[in-house]
Amino acid sequence: MAFPLPRGITPPEISFLAEMEMVTILPRQRLEGLELLGGPVEPLLPPRRASLPLWLALLLKRQRRANILPPPWLHPESLSLILDIETQHHEYEHTFSPPPPLPGQPSIRDHGQRPVAVPRYTPDGGRYYPAPPFLPQNVAQDHIPAGEPPSLPFHWLEVGTMLLDAASDDLVDPDQTRRLLKELREVRTAKIRSGVDVLDTASTGGGGVALTGVGAMEVGEGRGFIAGVIDGLRKIGASKEQARREQMAEDMANGGYGATQDDDDDMEF
Amino acid sequence: MDIDDILASVDRNDVSSPESAVLDHQLLTRFWVAERGVSELLPWPEALMNRMMGRVRKQIETIEDLAASSSDPASNNSNNNPNINLKLSILQTDLSRTQYLLRCILRQRLSKLTKHSMHYLLRVSAASSSQHPDSQINTDQQQPEDSIPDLTNVLDPSPLSAQELAFLRAHQTLLAGHFGASFLSSFPAQLRRLDDNAGGVSMVQGPDGREMVFVRCLVERVAVVVPPGDGVEVETMGTEMRMGDVWVVRWEGVRGAWERGEVEIL
Repeated sequence: MAFPLPRGITPPEISFLAEMEMVTILPRQRLEGLELLGGPVEPLLPPRRASLPLWLALLLKRQRRANILPPPWLHPESLSLILDIETQHHEYEHTFSPPPPLPGQPSIRDHGQRPVAVPRYTPDGGRYYPAPPFLPQNVAQDHIPAGEPPSLPFHWLEVGTMLLDAASDDLVDPDQTRRLLKELREVRTAKIRSGVDVLDTASTGGGGVALTGVGAMEVGEGRGFIAGVIDGLRKIGASKEQARREQMAEDMANGGYGATQDDDDDMEF
Repeated sequence: MDIDDILASVDRNDVSSPESAVLDHQLLTRFWVAERGVSELLPWPEALMNRMMGRVRKQIETIEDLAASSSDPASNNSNNNPNINLKLSILQTDLSRTQYLLRCILRQRLSKLTKHSMHYLLRVSAASSSQHPDSQINTDQQQPEDSIPDLTNVLDPSPLSAQELAFLRAHQTLLAGHFGASFLSSFPAQLRRLDDNAGGVSMVQGPDGREMVFVRCLVERVAVVVPPGDGVEVETMGTEMRMGDVWVVRWEGVRGAWERGEVEIL
């Protein structure tokens, strides 16, 4: 009654979240710096580039006060490379192409390095690890390190669509980009559908299904279905799980603590 | 206490700094997504909310001052500042976005509270007082309102805020009165309570902690836990998540990790 929306953020809310991504713009006019609730905005001095949240960049773009520099992944060349990884690479036959690394996480190139998560601290003393949409995954880069494969950021579909809508004249070959985005979307949706078989693992205690590399909008689309299937399977298997837990309790009481869980197999989408 | 905690106390910069505004905005956004994604009520982030409300209030004043100065014909400074309308629209958009987040969080919490109102009332009263007043059990004048616990000496309303607790109490009193007036008064006195647990089955329903959530692992590794229950007394470990991974898991399996900020809800 107080709130009609279902559990989990809905697609419009995901777009709202994606509008907090930082993008690079080329301002066409001056504007002094502003203190916003989302943080300060640097002064705009043409022709110096500036990083702004996407919603502000789109606001300026619609009034022809700025041009948006597209992120490096939103380029026909990068997108077709990613599409190749998604379709040709047998390693990613059932999984999504790897997402851009989080801060402290080694990229795909330096395999074997251990990730080191570096926290920031909140004023309340808690630890805070930044994650999308608050990572610079969509800002323009002048030189991409050699050998770094392009990767789709978490909000790729929303950012891509919004930029194609509002700033298609700033993109390289918008028609080709639009076509590639559509193809990527279809390939990845098919992967989500084919992964339904393993959803059973997430319905048992301590188990889960990995969706690494998934996009925010894809989570939003699949949420209703995946949640329905998993929660349904969990209710069907509730008595079986209880029996298994009781068996485990008995084993532990007998000193045979070792056979904890049997669902540790690497089940991935 | 390790070196990180010592660094943390130095790192805690003052609230008025721009870095703190950025961080609070990110924390608020993350809390909003989590509150929307999880079936149970999350602990009320008192300090964060107070800081955000203070900032919103200040920002409204700034906008009003700016709007007043732009419409003031006496000062007529439209020449030296042609961007004042643009500035105002940016500031107002930013304000509306933050207000949307705050409003959405509050409405989502109200909806969770009204859905499982007795559950949260009993949880708050159980946390603050250990003994239950069993005095009204044998009266014949049992009313549905009697099932509302006494909340006068609740010191810590966690996970609710103080205002939410007041709302919840008023809501449940009205609801119980309404139920009593419309149909419960024609029932036998012992069947009128709203928190009956005759036969060992409680009629108070709570949120289901086993519902699934989408999470992203933000630290090196986090194990999905299985909380004690069904005869097993210890917490057992399940699947292990690596940094950057996105998983579909049970909420009860990652609640602890979420509280430590090691995973985020998507």
